[in-house]
Amino acid sequence: MKQSFFGLLKKIIQTGIGKGRLLMATIGLGIAMFLLLLSIQMHTDFNQLLYNQQNQNESVDFLVINKKITNDMMGQSEKSVFTPQEIADIKKQPFTAAFGFITSNQYKVTAAAPGDLHFYTEMFFEAVPDTFIDVKSEDWKWQAGDNTIPIILPNDFLNLYNFGYALSQGLPQISQETIKALPMKITISKGLLTQEFTGRIVGFSDRITSFLVPGSFMEWANGKFGNGVEAAPSRVIIKTKDPSNPVLVKYLEDKGYSTNQDKLKYSKTKVIVQTIVSVIGFFGLILLLFALLVFSMFIQVVIASCKREIQLLVTLGTAPRQLQRYLMRQFVPLYIFTAIISLLLITGLQWKAAGVLAGMNMFVSSWISPGTAGAALLVIVLVYIVNLQSVKRYINEIS
Amino acid sequence: MQLQLENLVPIPLRDKILQRTSDLWNQVVTFTPGSFVKIKAPSGTGKTTLVHYLYNIRNDYSGKVLVDGQAWDAYKKDQIARMRQQQISVVFQDLRIFDQLTAAENIELKRVMLPNPYCTAEKVAEMAARLNVSHIMNQSGKTLSYGERQRIAIIRALVQPFEWLIMDEPFSHLDDENAQKAADLISEECRARNAGFILTDLDHDNRFAYDIHFNL
Repeated sequence: MKQSFFGLLKKIIQTGIGKGRLLMATIGLGIAMFLLLLSIQMHTDFNQLLYNQQNQNESVDFLVINKKITNDMMGQSEKSVFTPQEIADIKKQPFTAAFGFITSNQYKVTAAAPGDLHFYTEMFFEAVPDTFIDVKSEDWKWQAGDNTIPIILPNDFLNLYNFGYALSQGLPQISQETIKALPMKITISKGLLTQEFTGRIVGFSDRITSFLVPGSFMEWANGKFGNGVEAAPSRVIIKTKDPSNPVLVKYLEDKGYSTNQDKLKYSKTKVIVQTIVSVIGFFGLILLLFALLVFSMFIQVVIASCKREIQLLVTLGTAPRQLQRYLMRQFVPLYIFTAIISLLLITGLQWKAAGVLAGMNMFVSSWISPGTAGAALLVIVLVYIVNLQSVKRYINEIS
Repeated sequence: MQLQLENLVPIPLRDKILQRTSDLWNQVVTFTPGSFVKIKAPSGTGKTTLVHYLYNIRNDYSGKVLVDGQAWDAYKKDQIARMRQQQISVVFQDLRIFDQLTAAENIELKRVMLPNPYCTAEKVAEMAARLNVSHIMNQSGKTLSYGERQRIAIIRALVQPFEWLIMDEPFSHLDDENAQKAADLISEECRARNAGFILTDLDHDNRFAYDIHFNL
């Protein structure tokens, strides 16, 4: 006839009285935990869809920002430049990972095709810091004395020529390789001062729609041919981790800046998903609160119904701590059981969702995120602490 | 563990007590550790009240009960629990047996309250045999007679380590023969622990070799 102390306590402290409440509390806790974990997992999945390497070519994005040209501003080019205050403000925004000016030329530029191609045009150059350029080329460098200027053209420009202009005018279409092989005669001038260079196309940019030359050349040429005053930039480029960041989108809108809208398209979807996730998480939290409340009521009922027995146990020398441990032992397996069931459900859903999404060429992990598992643990710890407090309080009240 | 009373007066009995003299009420008394103490008192003079004060389950008194020099209210609940498990044991007049447990379980509850029980299950069986209650050990507490409950309560008090054993009319439901057996067992167990006891009763008796008598 050997029985453990807790085994004997089980015969004295009947927890059966609150079974209905306990069941309700456990079910509530289960649903609450499920909703909370679901919202966290959905959040993780959505972020994965947006930023994962598999789902996107670049993990960061570059935005060229300029002021919108409105009818009021026409003819007043100084209104389209960024003031130092505006630049400082953009720089300090949390979404700005890096910032660069797009520097324009302060001199005239003409380009002519070699030989008898009879191609001549006036043009412009711009320069951006090298880190913002998506073309990797050995030839992308210039130092004073070099007679050859490397140039990057926008990809769109070549497309416009090949598919718009050339076709309609009966001119030959040109491949990238051919253009790269063609030396252009570049003349830059300011008044009577002129200098000739050989321009060589070294690449085509998808990121920046402009004619780019190395910063070192721009600096040198603006120094020699410019008016000596540094021009205020009217276009700037920023590097950002998340072009769909609603904060960024709102900032641009508020300031009247414009950028490549296509890059911002995820922003709206993101706001919607975030709202749904928040609502689910919110309901989860509310339900968790109710579950905690019902647990607390259950504890109160059990302790109140065994008041005499608990008092006698304490009289005989049972430590309040022993009673707390005993009561908590009745609950902890329930928490763990609930957490395991919720986690299993979420894992199943995630596995299924990953399968369905993969069919649409969207990739999310087929396992739940560590954050979700961590959250389950956190909920258990929270419920444990809250219940332990109730047990302590009610036992203290009667002992 | 030293027990002392310092001008202890129960508030509900204050007027009655202050009208007469008592060896204990409103006196300064020190119970020497290890001594066998008999407190004799007629009904209604506060025997049970005193036992409850000594065991700290009532505190409606003026004056002090000092335990190792400190008043009871200086101790925390967990400290008091530890004392009740290891230093001070009790047999209540109203016995306080759990009805939902068997006789054996009532004793076992106290025995295994300490993670390392002080006495073995065999020892419990031996004590039950000495007090002639072996045959009722598996009966539920509810069905026990007063005499049986009293002996179970005595065994329950003896399965733990203690320095003081407090007993409130422990033999009130026992015949002389069984009372003497119980007294012998209590004596032995106290001697084995170098412990003392404080026993309250209505009448004079010679069941123990008392070291000191008080009239309440």
